[in-house]
Amino acid sequence: MTDQLNVNMSNEDIKKKSTKKRSQYLEVWRRLKQNKSAMVGLLIIIILILSAILAPFIAPYGIDDQDLLNTLQTPSKDHWMGTDNFGRDIFSRIVYGSIISLQVGFISVGIAMIVGGSLGAIAGYYGGKLDNLIMRMMDILLAIPSILLAISIVAALGHGLKNVMIAVGISSIPSYARIVRASVLTLKDQEFVEAARAVGTNNTRIILKHIIPNSMAPIIVQATLGVAGAILSAAGLSFIGLGIQLPTPEWGAMLSSGRQFIRDYPHMTAFPGLAIMITIFGLNLLGDGLRDALDPRLKN
Amino acid sequence: MHKYIFRRLLMLIPVIIGVTFIIFTMMYFTPGDPAKIMLGESAPHTEVAKLREELGLNDPFFVQFGRYVKNAVIHQDIGRSYATKRPVLEMIITRFPSTLKLAALGVLVAVLIGIPTGIISATKQYSLFDNIAMVIALLGVSMPNFWQGLMGILIFSVYLGWLPSSGFNTPAHWILPALTIGTSTAAIITRMTRSSMLEVIRQDYIRTARSKGQVESKVIIRHALKNALIPIITVVGLQFGYLLGGAVLTESIFAVPGVGRLMVDSIKARDFPVVQGGVLFIAITFSFVNLIVDILYAFVDPRIRSQYK
Amino acid sequence: MKKKKIAVLLSFILILALFATGCGNNQSAPEGDSGPGTPTDKKDVLIVGQGADAVSLDPHATNDQPSSRISKQIYETLVTQNEEMELQPALAESWEPIDDLTFEFKLKQGVKFHNGEPFTSKDVKFTLLRGLDSPHIGHIVGSIDPNSIEIIDDYTIRISTKDPFAPLLAHLAHTATAILNEKAVTEFGDDYGQHPVGTGPYKFDSWVNGDRVELVRFDDYHGKAPAIGKVIFRNIPENTNRTIELETGGIDIAYEIPPTDVSRVESNPDLVLQRNMNLSTTYLGFNCNKEHFKDVRVRQAINYAVNMEAIVKSVYKGVGAPSKGPLGPNVWASNQNLTPYEFNVEKAKKLMAEAGYADGFKTNIWTNDNQQRMDIAEIVQNQLKAINIDAEVKVVEWGAFLDGTTAGEHDIFILGWVTVTGDPDYGLYPLFHSSQHGAGGNRSFYVNEKVDALLDQGRTSVDPAVREKAYIEVQQIIKDEAPWVFTWSGEDLAGVRSNVKGFKQHPAGHHKVYTVYFE
Repeated sequence: MTDQLNVNMSNEDIKKKSTKKRSQYLEVWRRLKQNKSAMVGLLIIIILILSAILAPFIAPYGIDDQDLLNTLQTPSKDHWMGTDNFGRDIFSRIVYGSIISLQVGFISVGIAMIVGGSLGAIAGYYGGKLDNLIMRMMDILLAIPSILLAISIVAALGHGLKNVMIAVGISSIPSYARIVRASVLTLKDQEFVEAARAVGTNNTRIILKHIIPNSMAPIIVQATLGVAGAILSAAGLSFIGLGIQLPTPEWGAMLSSGRQFIRDYPHMTAFPGLAIMITIFGLNLLGDGLRDALDPRLKN
Repeated sequence: MHKYIFRRLLMLIPVIIGVTFIIFTMMYFTPGDPAKIMLGESAPHTEVAKLREELGLNDPFFVQFGRYVKNAVIHQDIGRSYATKRPVLEMIITRFPSTLKLAALGVLVAVLIGIPTGIISATKQYSLFDNIAMVIALLGVSMPNFWQGLMGILIFSVYLGWLPSSGFNTPAHWILPALTIGTSTAAIITRMTRSSMLEVIRQDYIRTARSKGQVESKVIIRHALKNALIPIITVVGLQFGYLLGGAVLTESIFAVPGVGRLMVDSIKARDFPVVQGGVLFIAITFSFVNLIVDILYAFVDPRIRSQYK
Repeated sequence: MKKKKIAVLLSFILILALFATGCGNNQSAPEGDSGPGTPTDKKDVLIVGQGADAVSLDPHATNDQPSSRISKQIYETLVTQNEEMELQPALAESWEPIDDLTFEFKLKQGVKFHNGEPFTSKDVKFTLLRGLDSPHIGHIVGSIDPNSIEIIDDYTIRISTKDPFAPLLAHLAHTATAILNEKAVTEFGDDYGQHPVGTGPYKFDSWVNGDRVELVRFDDYHGKAPAIGKVIFRNIPENTNRTIELETGGIDIAYEIPPTDVSRVESNPDLVLQRNMNLSTTYLGFNCNKEHFKDVRVRQAINYAVNMEAIVKSVYKGVGAPSKGPLGPNVWASNQNLTPYEFNVEKAKKLMAEAGYADGFKTNIWTNDNQQRMDIAEIVQNQLKAINIDAEVKVVEWGAFLDGTTAGEHDIFILGWVTVTGDPDYGLYPLFHSSQHGAGGNRSFYVNEKVDALLDQGRTSVDPAVREKAYIEVQQIIKDEAPWVFTWSGEDLAGVRSNVKGFKQHPAGHHKVYTVYFE
């Protein structure tokens, strides 16, 4: 009988929780919709994702259609963004490149955010020896500047898209850990956490239900910048010759290979650069909008 | 507080050991034989074998690692470069001033631009200034550093002829690299300052301070900025540390003879003692920067200070 | 109180910056900052920009181009090759063969090292023995028999090889055999590479690691004193930047002008572009041990299928020339009468069909991360589609590249070779002799007994006419059997400001700067 009651109660509890959660997300979405610049950002991201999915239909030429008689053409009707040093259509390569760049950006940030975020949350919340251990590990990683760490990892693993993503991801783990830990530190002594603890909520629950949602704002800001950073890091790795395999049309690699022509044919660097900028611009607009929408204190 | 600092310094020891081990392992398993790379495509294999023996590359991992640690601890000797035969420490020390200078100037530029812009943007959220500043900050983070550097050279060295394009020995040489690094770092600091200020401005005590009739600028500086500083310090500290070892691209574009470039060249050449020593050096420097950042935390936030006892 | 704390924080950052700035001041050199348009009455400093810093100025500790280019000004060799690759006396006034194995050298008298020590035959013996011990330059001096070096008197020395070795003199002209001073070497020990002492026109002054090496005129030089008092070699890794520095007057000579900047330098009235074919060649090698490439028809088909003119035009922007055969035009006895493979896809298809590969096959092309080689790989990959070959480009890190190609893991690879001695033995023996498979240099694992015999003959015969005939024939066979796709013969491009006179590029790449003067 008492068991029965318990089950009922918790069922109800779950139901209540989930409706509350749903309405919470709806609320965020409602607020996000009112933010014009966030919508512009979202639009940019959607266009990018669509161009990634529909690349074969959008691009007038293939990834690697060389035309050695038409190299380094400036933009024209046939080639909207001109051609590169192999006579390849830059517009087509940029369209295909959206797949690669979005992959590099999101996967490496995903790796960093999940691993680094959880480590940071655990360290900040539990404190003491565990905090010490995790943060000392992070210090070891952090003590090696991320680009240098990424370079070493790529050197050890070899070139290629996958390895670049892993390298960039691992190298940015510590910054997430630190940022999450810092915000957890300021949160954990706040009243609502104390209250939850007093009610007897267990730690995992407190972290997942109270701490993480309330420290989302800095994580989102960091993550949106992080996607940008990941794309730029990949470009940087290409710049020093440790990047992505040819002839993959990765924007950073395209930009790097255009640098030797920058004085005569700036379009070779300008368009991939623009593609990167617009992507990051969109991500940031959206990230900022999300941040405002997620912040409960903005309600009133 | 002193006790805390001492404890943190003690903690440097495991960090150093950890870094040494990680990098040593990574380099050991990195494909590519330093002897082969040094000798190039024209070397007969007898010469490669001879050089491998000379460099001690035929020994098993733990023998090599043990020898390295032993020399480092007992003789304070972190070895000589495979390629140049110079003592690693000397190589790094001669290059470090350039890197430090570049990082400090870059962060200085960034802080001078970033923090005021961020504060104004936050206090005048959604104003014209805010919008323009944020767009510029976005462009700043979106622009690849090396592209920006090349454009700077194009404009200021080629077209205008105002500034030299490479080298690092006079103040005129510092301007372009420092601006290249500073502006993109400024973008990051601006955004962090703004978002952190916005967070704080909405807190109750700010409203209280305002309602008490305090002057707005006083509210912003005395109450808001002080509380918003923690994340800002984190970012500035991280950026400074990052620049100490990571200004690789800028260093190579402007031919700054710094540590970052030394590291990349050495990784490419599989000059392991230099990589090893360099990363260790950067790690120690960076750990000090971290320690200072943490002490500054305590400085601005008494709640955290109390934890340091 | 709280304001104060923020002030402290900000000033801390400021102090850090100022401290850092102060740190560097003591190392900044007064010279070399001849920024854009600083006019001086009499210019006495020559600044040369190159793409990498020297590794070591000990000729036995390295064998890289940036180091050799500086060593060339500090040291001298027994004999030397002029810009036309003709042998000329240097530290040795004259020489004559004693028998099949031995040469006797008469040394120049009254020569001084930079540390004041007189130059004698003892130094020659010391240098050669030390060089033989070095793993870096064994391929240059390895033929010398260490037990045979015989000092006749202070200014006469005999040097023998283990086996008859015709190209010995060309090897002794290489900068790696530059003569060192025993006292200086012993004095500096492990640090000798940073304290070089030679007999050359310039002596070492200082070295800012990663940035610049400075040399000053050696007043006791035995030859014609250089006109310019000081030479600075600056390290400017970024190609674009090196050209800009040249344009803005930051440097007087820029080595390795990138192809993209050719027209820019040419059209600038303040600059002169010097173009000279050098001794380097770039090639695609087949792994002749792999199934497809055992068949000579497949190798020829690929030679026909690749449009080399287009590659040279698009990758090298017209710099250099398509290779006719395995040797560049500047190498002695280079067979320039070879008919290169034309671009003919039909012929290629026919050969593929004859070999039974009408439907093509899958293969891979290895390259390291050299920009031009990667570009070539991409183009070749693309052009091979026409004969149904599906090639994957593998960009492999340099060390792994050497390892892999030594072990024969590759199908096709792209590599370069510099025949530094200007003698065909150096340009053919390691690359095509069957005893040199893998690490020896023959990474295409090519075997041909006739070629082996001719290469042996060229190496051992003392009669230049016999040698020449052997090498001409070898090149014909190699071209026909096509273990390579013959790709590109290199060209050196140097940009020089128009007031710089007396500079001439050397095909081997180590250009003299001690003949330079300002006008």
